[in-house]
Amino acid sequence: MLKINKLCKKFNGKIVLDSISLNVKPGTIAVLLGPSGVGKSTLLRILNNLEIPDSGTIMLDGQALDLKIVNRSHIVGMVFQQFNLFENLTVEDNIILPLEKTTNISHEEAVKIARLLLEHYGLADKASSYPASLSGGQKQRLAIARAVALKPKIICFDEPTSALDPLLTNHVAASIQELAHKQFIVLVATHDTTLAQRLQSTIYLMKSGSIIASVDSKDFYTNRANYPEVDQFLAGFAQEVDGKNNLR
Amino acid sequence: MIIDFALLFSLLPAFAKGLSVSLSIATLSCCIGVFVGVPFGVITAYKSLLRYPVALYVLVIRGTPMLIQIFFALYCLPTLGIHFAPFWLAVCAIGLNSAAYVSQIIRSGIQAVNRGMLEAAQALGFSWWQTIWYFVLPHAIRITFPAIGNEFINLIKDSSLASTIGVMELTRTGQLKMAGSYDLITIWAGVGACYLIVTSLLSFVLYIFEKRINAHVENK
Repeated sequence: MLKINKLCKKFNGKIVLDSISLNVKPGTIAVLLGPSGVGKSTLLRILNNLEIPDSGTIMLDGQALDLKIVNRSHIVGMVFQQFNLFENLTVEDNIILPLEKTTNISHEEAVKIARLLLEHYGLADKASSYPASLSGGQKQRLAIARAVALKPKIICFDEPTSALDPLLTNHVAASIQELAHKQFIVLVATHDTTLAQRLQSTIYLMKSGSIIASVDSKDFYTNRANYPEVDQFLAGFAQEVDGKNNLR
Repeated sequence: MIIDFALLFSLLPAFAKGLSVSLSIATLSCCIGVFVGVPFGVITAYKSLLRYPVALYVLVIRGTPMLIQIFFALYCLPTLGIHFAPFWLAVCAIGLNSAAYVSQIIRSGIQAVNRGMLEAAQALGFSWWQTIWYFVLPHAIRITFPAIGNEFINLIKDSSLASTIGVMELTRTGQLKMAGSYDLITIWAGVGACYLIVTSLLSFVLYIFEKRINAHVENK
């Protein structure tokens, strides 16, 4: 189980994460839902050692998680908002190189794992292409395959639908749900309420660096009577989104 | 006819010999430029203390003419007990001059590399050196390839400065032949044409190579 306790982070004196606490069990999905700038991505970046927290603890299976070794030990995997694929490597090598260079797996074994994953994610025919030739959905599936190949315990998704056609939301939800079925601990940072609702997850509503409420995804739209804070959140969320759209 | 083609053809063997020396200087200087310039570029792109001496080196080299640097090496190194044949002196001076420029080209390339890709490398557990080797340098070299190509072409032309310290390269060959024939136009047109042919061929090869290393960013 992943236990995040009172995690705090400031950037230039501005509070980005304000005493965030949440627990996520293996095989479940935690969705961090909120508009831009509420600290969702920062939380995922801290888990991936891309940011250093100011205070707070992170425990995994009852032991403190040492963030300094989190990358080398492949405890946490990340699927980035812009996928961040290695453009100079072929699709297959995007999976093989991390396996070969950051684990003890041999080249032959890495190739075998990469081919299985590419087959699973429907990219087998693209193995020797470069990422630039892939569609947005294919890039994301490759990013997921690359993260899964290293067998992390936790997989983080940063805005998984923001760079994709809205029609792909169902496919993204299915891919994320599948990882939960395989007993990964899954964290998803998103501002996409449709995605949040489609995942069987616990939704954590975030505002100004804090979690203001948590709600089961199946109750998100249907059982509002028990969650008055959801209505309040969605009303404020819609206003913020409208405000940003007007500015554009 | 301004150009005496009969004279020009008779000079071709001597020009070819001089050109081979010029290309040797340019090739060896290029090796020094890359082997010194690339690590210097990496050093200056990152916040290490080593970047200060490298920055001073770049400032001095870029701020003084290459000819002065060659003369400096010719007259000062022997006083320190370091003796080089003129050919190697020219190779070192031109190569170290080139390294300063290559380092700045590589630095700008590194700084242009997509940060997201570097974060992905870190998140996947690649070490700093692995990230530099597998991702930063390939991207930086691809981005800066046209500028590095220009630098290589410049080296061929800069090799003519070796003539000032008596190296029998193409320009020096032209100077000596001039003393024998006094047909200045034919000789210097021939020497110029040799440089032009070689730099044009190199430009073409670099263009083909550039297309190949950019293949992965083009949609297939």
